[in-house]
Amino acid sequence: MSGCVTVQLSSLNRADTPQLHLLPCEIEHDGSAEVSGFFTPAVKEHKGEKSVSFRGRGLRGQEVSCPHGYTGVVLNELQRPSSDEEDRIVKVSSVFHNFTYWNLETPPTSDDRIMMAMVWPKLADVIHAPVEG
Amino acid sequence: MDLSAFEADNSVSCRLTSPVPDACRTEDCCLGIDEAGRGPVLGPMVYGICFCPVSKKEELKNLNVADSKTLTEAERENLFLKLDKAKSFVGWALQVLSPNTISTNMLQRVKYNLNALSHDAAIGLVQYALDCGVQLKEVFVDTVGPAEKYEEKLSKRFPGVKVTVRPKADSLFPVVSAASICAKVARDHAVKGWTFAEDLGEVDTDYGSGYPNDPKTKSWLLKYLDPVFGYPQFVRFSWSTAQTLLDSKAFAVHWDDDEEDGEKGAARQKNTSMLSYFSHSKPKGHSPTHKTHRFFTERRLQNVDTF
Amino acid sequence: MTTKKTRSVPPSNDSWVVIAADSALESTKTHDSEPTFVKLRNPATGTASQYLFSGGDVRVYEMKAFTEDCRSWFIGQTVQRDGKLLYLTPVDPIFLLLPYMQSDGVEGKFQPLQQMVMDEHYPGCMRLLKCTQALDSLRYVTDEKMMDNLKFHRYNHEKTMEWLKKKVWNTVTALRNSDISVGGGVKSTTYVRVKQETLATEEDYLRYAHGLISVYISEELSKDLLKHLQLPEITSPKEVEPPSKKRKLSDKPVEAGEDYTKFNSADFVRKPPKKMTAAQKTLAKVDKTGMKSMSAFFSPKVKQEKK
Repeated sequence: MSGCVTVQLSSLNRADTPQLHLLPCEIEHDGSAEVSGFFTPAVKEHKGEKSVSFRGRGLRGQEVSCPHGYTGVVLNELQRPSSDEEDRIVKVSSVFHNFTYWNLETPPTSDDRIMMAMVWPKLADVIHAPVEG
Repeated sequence: MDLSAFEADNSVSCRLTSPVPDACRTEDCCLGIDEAGRGPVLGPMVYGICFCPVSKKEELKNLNVADSKTLTEAERENLFLKLDKAKSFVGWALQVLSPNTISTNMLQRVKYNLNALSHDAAIGLVQYALDCGVQLKEVFVDTVGPAEKYEEKLSKRFPGVKVTVRPKADSLFPVVSAASICAKVARDHAVKGWTFAEDLGEVDTDYGSGYPNDPKTKSWLLKYLDPVFGYPQFVRFSWSTAQTLLDSKAFAVHWDDDEEDGEKGAARQKNTSMLSYFSHSKPKGHSPTHKTHRFFTERRLQNVDTF
Repeated sequence: MTTKKTRSVPPSNDSWVVIAADSALESTKTHDSEPTFVKLRNPATGTASQYLFSGGDVRVYEMKAFTEDCRSWFIGQTVQRDGKLLYLTPVDPIFLLLPYMQSDGVEGKFQPLQQMVMDEHYPGCMRLLKCTQALDSLRYVTDEKMMDNLKFHRYNHEKTMEWLKKKVWNTVTALRNSDISVGGGVKSTTYVRVKQETLATEEDYLRYAHGLISVYISEELSKDLLKHLQLPEITSPKEVEPPSKKRKLSDKPVEAGEDYTKFNSADFVRKPPKKMTAAQKTLAKVDKTGMKSMSAFFSPKVKQEKK
């Protein structure tokens, strides 16, 4: 069958459990970063509200948890086949249960779209639960 | 000088103060304001006030305080000790603006420029002296900007106080010289004893003067540039020296309030829906095959057609 | 000090951040097949969408992407430029099967499933035939007949309507227990956020739920369902919401023709302003000459185009 992407479940056991941060900016880079050198040690926390700066700009953050019954994973494709028709394989490189959501200067609230989006899984569970006759 | 209050968290702004002499609460006082470390791309900027009874002006002068810039570091230390010994009639207070405070304020969505930042620090310190019961009658301020406007602003803000704003006030009025010494000593100490919030291992502390044109400062900035994070919080990101280096040597970073050109800017000018920007599919054209619901659009949730 | 930066074209992704239902990535001892992403025909749009089969193809999940402008991830000690967050949530396979039951040449006839569920463009649809629980539920939307040990199905519109109605009512219940605002776009014009439940009517909930279910069915079914729910069709959602003059980005209702909700709120353009932080309050008090107005802060996305 063409164009399928298979998730290699065996990789799940070897997956690491890193910290995730969703930043309010786009960094034109994919690859290594000294997060534990520059970023994590500078994070301040006060009453569940986090603050830090990145590139001289003030960030305010909050921890966001995966909804009940859901787990966060990072899927990774080691080698993309040259043709579109070939099947692809991704592995689970990381597992997480929460991440830090950062806004530029404004503390995150329940009005933030990410917080609103987090209700989707629970609602999807209801919409797609089997209906009894 | 004890900087431990600032060193406990050097990412924010911090106020350091001497005890207020009793005489300053009962007698008419004069007060000087000066700053240290405005120009450097590294470390904090310090605003300082020094005050004493008008009647003690001569005694202050006899301490031989002079403009801090004309003194060596050792001389400044020495003079600060003298001021400290004169605590029966001389008081001081400092506002240490961390480089992180400077960066984040100057780069804020609504820019908070260095002048406004400095003025607010100065006003805050004068207000502090008043709140402590100092009988302020005269205020002398050193400035690099236009003096008249600033003088008018301060006079309005502090009615009943005679405000004099002068360029080079630090060499004209001993009480301003004294303030400048306090500020400069604090700035020197803060830079020397800088503890990095970051975990950078051994950091080379040969920063030079911190001024952008100092070769030592320049090479330090090159050495500690990180392509993702740029610099530790010790560096003022809002300085063009830092920005220029980052623009050429670090990964580009885009914020939603960047001035932009290209597709996005054009889309905004044309007043088109943000959704058309987000969905990379062809312009909407209201085809009945493209159904969504506001539950999803409000949450920026989209279908995924390719993985 | 924002410099004009042109954004480079992002390379194709090799890494995705996903929040997945636990069951989607459960390993099953009895099935050797691993979870697989497959493109299927989206039952509402008829175009390709990404789905995931797991547990030996007995369960299907859909993928939605949370996408905000200017976002990147830190994942451990790496940067991922693409700041998307993907959701993998369960889909009732009946939704995906219904278009095949109703397709030309099939509707009205008793046929074995294998002959109905065929799609040369989306061969992956064969996997739906393994979704055992869904196949049991097919009796809620089809008439069934056994012949020679083989099950035959025929689409039944009345049954389907009843089945969809139950879906709608289950959704209404879930909405009532959530703080999802289903009312008619009130939020965008009021600064104080009101609890929507007190304002939303029964009809608001019903229409909202109908709109959500409509994302999974054809337009015809959606219209029929509206009638079945005894809700009059709203012909032009544009007339319901008065045009706002304040919004600068777009006053055009999003995908108006396709949205099945009563109001097509455009409030996703911008949130009402938050409380001012201490720094902003200070700022509001100080001299703002040469600085941007507060309104620039309240609509930070809308930058005045320079030049």
